[in-house]
Amino acid sequence: MASLGSVLSIAVQSLQAADGGLQVTNNNIANANTPGYTRQQVVLHESAPSTTGDFTAGDGVTLVGYQSVRDELIQSQIQQETQAQSGANAQLTSMQQIQPTFETSSTDIGTEMSALFSSISSLGTDPTSNASRQAVLSAGQNLATAFNTASNTLTTQQSGLNSQVTDDVGKINQLTQQIAALNPQIVQQNATSDVQNGGALQDQQNQLILQLSALTNVNVTQTNNGITVTTGNGTALVVAGQSFSLSTSAGANGMTQVLDPNGANITSQITGGDLGGSIQTRDQTIGGSTGLLNQLDTLANEVGTAFNAAQAKGTDLNGNAGQNFFTIPATTSGSAANIKMAITDPNLLAASSDGTAGSDGNLANFSAIQTNTLPSGQTPSGTFSSIVYQIGSVTASANAESSATTASLTQLTDQQNSVSGVSTDEESANLITYQQAYEAAARVVSTVQALMTVTMSMVTS
Amino acid sequence: MRITSMLPDMQYAMQQSQQALATAEMQVATGRKVNQLSDDPTASASMVVSLTDSANVDQYTSNIGTLVPKMQTADSAISQIVTELNTAITLGTQGANGTNAAQRPAIASEVAGVLATVVSQANASYSGGYLFAGSATSTPPFVAASETYTSANGSAGSPLSSSTALTAGSITTIGDASTGDTFHFQASAGDTVGTLQTAIANAVAAGTLSAGTTASINASGQLSISTNSNTAGIAVTTNDAALGSMSATPNTQVANAYAYVGNSTINTAQIADQLSVATNVPGDSLFTTGSNVIGALSALITALQSNNPSITQIGNATNAISTALNSVNQQRVPLDNTISEMNSEESFLNQETVTLSTQQSSLVGADLATAATNLTQAQTQNQAVLAVAAKVLPQTLLNYLSQPSA
Repeated sequence: MASLGSVLSIAVQSLQAADGGLQVTNNNIANANTPGYTRQQVVLHESAPSTTGDFTAGDGVTLVGYQSVRDELIQSQIQQETQAQSGANAQLTSMQQIQPTFETSSTDIGTEMSALFSSISSLGTDPTSNASRQAVLSAGQNLATAFNTASNTLTTQQSGLNSQVTDDVGKINQLTQQIAALNPQIVQQNATSDVQNGGALQDQQNQLILQLSALTNVNVTQTNNGITVTTGNGTALVVAGQSFSLSTSAGANGMTQVLDPNGANITSQITGGDLGGSIQTRDQTIGGSTGLLNQLDTLANEVGTAFNAAQAKGTDLNGNAGQNFFTIPATTSGSAANIKMAITDPNLLAASSDGTAGSDGNLANFSAIQTNTLPSGQTPSGTFSSIVYQIGSVTASANAESSATTASLTQLTDQQNSVSGVSTDEESANLITYQQAYEAAARVVSTVQALMTVTMSMVTS
Repeated sequence: MRITSMLPDMQYAMQQSQQALATAEMQVATGRKVNQLSDDPTASASMVVSLTDSANVDQYTSNIGTLVPKMQTADSAISQIVTELNTAITLGTQGANGTNAAQRPAIASEVAGVLATVVSQANASYSGGYLFAGSATSTPPFVAASETYTSANGSAGSPLSSSTALTAGSITTIGDASTGDTFHFQASAGDTVGTLQTAIANAVAAGTLSAGTTASINASGQLSISTNSNTAGIAVTTNDAALGSMSATPNTQVANAYAYVGNSTINTAQIADQLSVATNVPGDSLFTTGSNVIGALSALITALQSNNPSITQIGNATNAISTALNSVNQQRVPLDNTISEMNSEESFLNQETVTLSTQQSSLVGADLATAATNLTQAQTQNQAVLAVAAKVLPQTLLNYLSQPSA
């Protein structure tokens, strides 16, 4: 048989349940705009019924706990999409800084090459004119300067990306430490709680993993001891409560290398994220055997060599065989950065083909450079045009990927909010619900109190 | 699907519409649909090549602009010379007439005047360079001939000798007024004055220089180049520092004789991608080599002035001038052809300029009508997005719940 006491205790449990609901609602509303916050729900179970004789009665409500509403699949998709977006953005930022140097202007390489050939053609109409000869040398200097500037733009980018690599590795190490520290705490919390999903600690860890994904490609797996984080090719970064650091070392040609916790060089295996995007831009788009810097150096070296060869075939105004027109290094590497004029005296321009001062017969050898293919396979302007195309198309691809991943992330975030986001409207409605539940339970308590007073007065009177 | 907040979607939509607006504004402001390489990599790459072509076309046009006046000046000099030669033929015919014997000295003077005018025209210059000197354009190509030329270098105390080394690459030229030919010598490394003397002897044997022309070291230690008669004359130039300049020995000038000290080099200039034209006609091919205009005029003067002129001699000299005139007319033809070729090339290049401009516009230029329409659309779209955001964002349930009673 139910007693007033049991009624009271059920009412008290109801108060606790309503209290819990209000607490959760309060927490949700407070954290409505907190990034990474997963809304919580109060978990209420019906208490096990008690049987007294022939009567079976319910035993009220039990507040089991607060559950976070999260979808791990969407979280994982967001991490991957973030990786892709950061990678694309890293490349896009670099390429957008490189582009302007190669756009058509009054000083880009294509324009200066044309100007040089024009000045040579103009000299052909008046081979003894000192002014025309000086114009050829000035045009040559402008071309050398254009090469120097372009090369500088590329190497400056590489240098910036080197710093970025070091910075990113530092941040990665910080994040893995923090993630590892949270693992034992989350495991313990889940062990002592009747509901899973970790609550605030798990939210915190997810945010750290998201930041980590923005930096590099990582795989995240759930184990009994918490989250295991590995790099794309399997090296462990976080296992249970322990984190393992990446390190950097100066590479052979000044390109910062990334080493895994065992010291192995994993630079070329890092894809995705800001670190991956930076490394790819630095080592494959700009550097490397097919990179922009090598193509630029090759163009500078081949054009310089061709001009020097043309000079050697003719005679200058002093009656001597032509000296080098450009000074270029012996190796292709560094040609664009270091190319400069080797002659400054207009008399040294070897226009003559027969030793007389007024002959312009050797100028045809200079003009031929414009129309003949260089050893690398195209004419000078064709080669430059290919470089321009490559820059434009890499930038356009990075731009497209950045836009696509942004759109994708927007959608995924919408989905995540749909599951885990706090709806202020919903919480406001919940507030009213729990308020009324509390009032109802309180009413029960005051009714029981009144009844007890009546009972007591029955006994005492 | 639960909707928790419309803010992220609104922000994304506003970002997108503002980006579209910025792009449309840029296209209208710059007039280009390709403002950076990534806007259209293929078009950007094609532009590089097209602009190179444009620069070339501009240069060809400029070259033509420089060359046509120069070649027209050359042509009018030749035209003058043709007129003078016709006068000379008339004079020669008069002189050959037996009845004009007394007037021959006067006719000879007139022919001398014609010769002077012809030489002056043959030495015409344009913009600081001599037109008919081949590539040796800094000195007059036709020089009054003298019997002897001596070098500036060499003295009794330090004489030149056949073993004196010459400067490698130097050029020594000897024009012969009688043969009409010119001897050129370019020194190689290791050549000496003796090498030059040998070469001159070989040229005499070959007939380039008149028989009896010698090169020797004179009593003052100078190199002396001379003919052996007072009717044959030479002119010598050199740029060899070992010899110094060559100058005519005073009082050895041969009257009415001129020699060519230019060369035969023809310079070319490019006026189209696959088209180079000769930009000069060397004086020797016009006036001396093959048919010696100068020499023929000199011979006519000599014939008219001689004490015992023969009609045949005068007649032959006059015929020689006619033959020479034919040759000049022939040599003139390529020059005239080149001038008209350049004029027609100019019209073609003007067309090319337009074609290339059109090509470049179509690659990167924005059609202004389309760009302006896009801009209006982007503006409207942007305003719509902002209006929706303003309407939708502020609405929550809290606006509608009454305050809890106290």
